[in-house]
Amino acid sequence: MKAIQHITLAALATILAVGASSEASAQCRSFTKKRCLPKLEEYVQNDNYNTAVLIPGDEAELSLTFFGGRAYRLLVCGHPVLGDLDFQVLDARGNGIYDSTDKDANHFDFRVANTQQMIVRVQVPQSSAALQHEGCVSIMIGSKG
Amino acid sequence: MHNPRTRRLSGAWSLGALTLLSLAVLAGCGESAPADDANSATQQELTTAPEEGMMPTTRTSALKKIFHAVPSPIETALLLEASGVNFSTDDLNDAGKASGYQTTGLQAVNLGIYAGDLSYATIFNRNQEAIQYLNVARRLADELGVGDLIDGALIERAEDNREVRDSLIHIVTSTFYALNARLKENGMEDVSGLIAAGGWIEGVYLGTRNLDGATEELKTRIAEQKLTLDNLRSLLASYPSTEDLAGMIAELDAVETAFAGVEIVEHAANTSTTDDGLVVISGGPEISVSDETLAAIAEAVAGVRNHYAN
Repeated sequence: MKAIQHITLAALATILAVGASSEASAQCRSFTKKRCLPKLEEYVQNDNYNTAVLIPGDEAELSLTFFGGRAYRLLVCGHPVLGDLDFQVLDARGNGIYDSTDKDANHFDFRVANTQQMIVRVQVPQSSAALQHEGCVSIMIGSKG
Repeated sequence: MHNPRTRRLSGAWSLGALTLLSLAVLAGCGESAPADDANSATQQELTTAPEEGMMPTTRTSALKKIFHAVPSPIETALLLEASGVNFSTDDLNDAGKASGYQTTGLQAVNLGIYAGDLSYATIFNRNQEAIQYLNVARRLADELGVGDLIDGALIERAEDNREVRDSLIHIVTSTFYALNARLKENGMEDVSGLIAAGGWIEGVYLGTRNLDGATEELKTRIAEQKLTLDNLRSLLASYPSTEDLAGMIAELDAVETAFAGVEIVEHAANTSTTDDGLVVISGGPEISVSDETLAAIAEAVAGVRNHYAN
């Protein structure tokens, strides 16, 4: 009987974990649509969905190609519970192009003269709070001519 | 081709009762996300409960999440238009073939191919074709289980805005963004990757149909796709392998071989700032390509495209 109870509890815990993960993903989709997409303003959004549930101390990295002659908005949009996210833009060789640290902005507007691959790195700050929260982080790209 | 949906659904019945119980518990845990569709995206009030998108975590060790992105079909179509490509209906995949794609793999890749055609028609103001291809996308999205994202109301809104290119662009990009999000949320990253691959293939295919009259800018744009092919292959390799994903990666080998003829000399990027404060990033790779290499790329891409579309 005890074995059956253990199996049932384990199954329930697994299903709750999966359910919570699915709930978090669904909330991220809604969060991104309402809180992040509007910040692209007149830029045409890229249709890649680069969103994850992160916790303090996590990092995210995005590799992509930016085309010469186009202007871009790179938007790093995270839930406020995670604090101020820092992000850097690096060229294909790993050289720094932009660093948001100490800047009060969650986006970087720029124009690309020559097509090139770049890497975007995002850091979620550490937290000393007793109860740690996870939150949605979305890296969004919009472009215009 | 293998149908992963069948695989994912297997075993679901055995957990049904426990799932129902768990859902009852979860129902009290937070706000349910509303149905995500492009139609409601612009209409929904831009407010959200403060707790939405966060919750206490049980995870204690930090991780690094890696994303790979490819240009959206709309972005590629905009580049083609600016490079002097002429629109030709004959180059598009026949809309009538959609009902013949019977497996998940073929449906996903061809949804991407049709997304490329839809974007191409939209950017070139071919409104009748754009609406036609949106309807085809609806059919395939339905087959993939995400048809609610391209519903009748969305088609009607597209019809109402058929003369307003920016509105159609917004409809197309927000629809495919929502589609990608839903597929990833449902654990169907492989399908999302195949759609991205189809869109990439169709973009390069359309750009290489008439190389004899190609401008130098178009030739450069085609050559630059060597970089985005790297992004695409990394994207596909980042998902748990399936038969369809492995098949696509193998098909792209021939395209990669053709692109090997594109010469890239790497230079460091550098930045400057315009008078109005905009940062300009220059430097980076120097790209060159011969007409022979372009012809090889055109042939290789057509081979992959027709493998899936015909």
